Amino acid sequence: MTALEGRLVSLRDQMREWGADFRRLGLALDRDPELVREHFDLPAVRYLSTMGIPPEYGNVPIPIAGNRFYGTLALERAIIMEELACADVGMLVASPGPLLAGVLVDLLADEAQKEWFYGRMLDAPLWTFFALTEPDRGSDAGALTTTLTPVPGGAVLSGEKRYVGNACRAQLGVVFARVGSGPLGINAVLVETPAEGFKAEALETIGLKGARISAITLDGVHVPAERFVGRHLSPSRRGMWAFVQTFNLLRPGVAAIALGIARAAYEYVTENRTSLRRDEQDRLDLLGRRIEGARSLVHLAARAVDARTSDGYLASAAKTRASQLAMDAAREACGFFGVGARFDHPMLDKLVRDARGLEFIEGTSNMQKLNLFQGLFTGKLDRDDPFRVGVPG
Amino acid sequence: MTTSVRLGADELSRCHRAARDEGLAPALTVLRSLVLPGLLPCGPGGHAVVPQEVAAGAHQVWLDGVTVDRSATDESTLDSIDLPGGTVVLLRHGIGERGTDVHAEQRASWALGLVWLRLGLSEALRETCMRYLNGRRTGSTTLLQQQMVKSTVADGLIEHLEVRAVLTGADAGGLPEVILSHLHARITAADRWLVNLLGASGYLTGGPGQVAHLSELLAEAYVRADS
Repeated sequence: MTALEGRLVSLRDQMREWGADFRRLGLALDRDPELVREHFDLPAVRYLSTMGIPPEYGNVPIPIAGNRFYGTLALERAIIMEELACADVGMLVASPGPLLAGVLVDLLADEAQKEWFYGRMLDAPLWTFFALTEPDRGSDAGALTTTLTPVPGGAVLSGEKRYVGNACRAQLGVVFARVGSGPLGINAVLVETPAEGFKAEALETIGLKGARISAITLDGVHVPAERFVGRHLSPSRRGMWAFVQTFNLLRPGVAAIALGIARAAYEYVTENRTSLRRDEQDRLDLLGRRIEGARSLVHLAARAVDARTSDGYLASAAKTRASQLAMDAAREACGFFGVGARFDHPMLDKLVRDARGLEFIEGTSNMQKLNLFQGLFTGKLDRDDPFRVGVPG
Repeated sequence: MTTSVRLGADELSRCHRAARDEGLAPALTVLRSLVLPGLLPCGPGGHAVVPQEVAAGAHQVWLDGVTVDRSATDESTLDSIDLPGGTVVLLRHGIGERGTDVHAEQRASWALGLVWLRLGLSEALRETCMRYLNGRRTGSTTLLQQQMVKSTVADGLIEHLEVRAVLTGADAGGLPEVILSHLHARITAADRWLVNLLGASGYLTGGPGQVAHLSELLAEAYVRADS
């Protein structure tokens, strides 16, 4: 197990402390996802609202044990996500901030676009969205059909997007659309809302209600030329490459969210069952070991993408492992409270529902496994040093 | 008898690679020569899985941290199995009156080395499965390119990566026995999935299925069930 450096331990501890607010509000937010609007003053919400914005654009996050964490590294985000998801995943995903769109902007945008995007995010807490998935091709993003048709001064967007977090209340977002055929014909654009022709509606979901997963209709939405993300780059760096890299960078964070849910289930048992039979203690201990093991994998996968953005295969392993663990842990925790546990323990029921969402967010386990296999088959995983930590030759 | 070495990253890597690239007997030879030179390594119940040369040459027995004289009358050979890399012998030595002078450092090194060794064997199994399935065709493609096969390979790989992640940076004694026992269980789980990919060919003696079986027996012999 690779131990966290002292400054990251401080970050973890601070997030754990801030997470108490999330835990307190979680069930209420599950009933009313808009409740988060009343809590923009919470330290964790304030932190998330600018997480990922680099210091050179004016981000001054609250210092933690003398350090400022900008959330620009996958490992930092993994630590933050685990703690806040353990507190309450609903509050985490309901909080405004640049998150997915911010990672893409950081990766691809030119200076003017960064100044504009980050400036907006620093002015006030804003929700953002990342619109890639379409109704009929969730697992085949490269085949997207939303169009970006050139007009004088820019282009117009037309098409549909689905399963986009927070789109129904976002003021800013990224939309992937097609300017031509093939993988090089895909471009990302920044979109401000409300906008004429833009409509987003929340979909009713079983869990993760704070995410306000939405469906978007784009009917001739005008996009100025200066909102084409990565307009200074070659087409090969703007389309599929861009969202693959973005997902690589975000995937350890998604895995960490799943890990946080698993830990929340584990902690619910430890906090609400004061005495355990031997067999129960054994089951709980095993769950604890699985959580520890998955955390080791998540952290090394995060370090790997921080070192090389293209090293997303390990994160696929981490996300698959952690999302399965979240579902197992939530169900396992119910077993400690007897018949009807999910009726009598609303928190457990919520954890079971929320855990299911992590299975498909950022790619189902089946897709992650195919991605991981591809990495192995094509020799992208170093057989002697898969995490690139440096092993004796 | 030469002095044992406290296992660091170099030595652990040697055990791991010997298991992956050469086989069970060579890897056990490396681990034993580093940690328990000259001794017959036995688990807490007196069970051993050792290369033939070790079984033939050791004069003293190491019983989970305690060294005793080897007794021909108190030892039985259970099996002898020819595997790629060399013959391995299964035996049981009586545990009798054991001393209390436990060599904790040797114990910790042996325990950690065994996990690395089994991980190497399991990774070799994964590579064997991939070669085997890449050479067998179904319709216009290989078995390896079937999605369910890819998924099973990925399941095995995820176990390997998680075990490796937990082991990364850990020195002998750095991980509690319960964690090491958990890692053994994960390696066994990976082996079971992977062996299934070999179908009937994984059921033959002397091949990868039997190496996986012997790998399980290593854990059976040396890892305390209640750890």
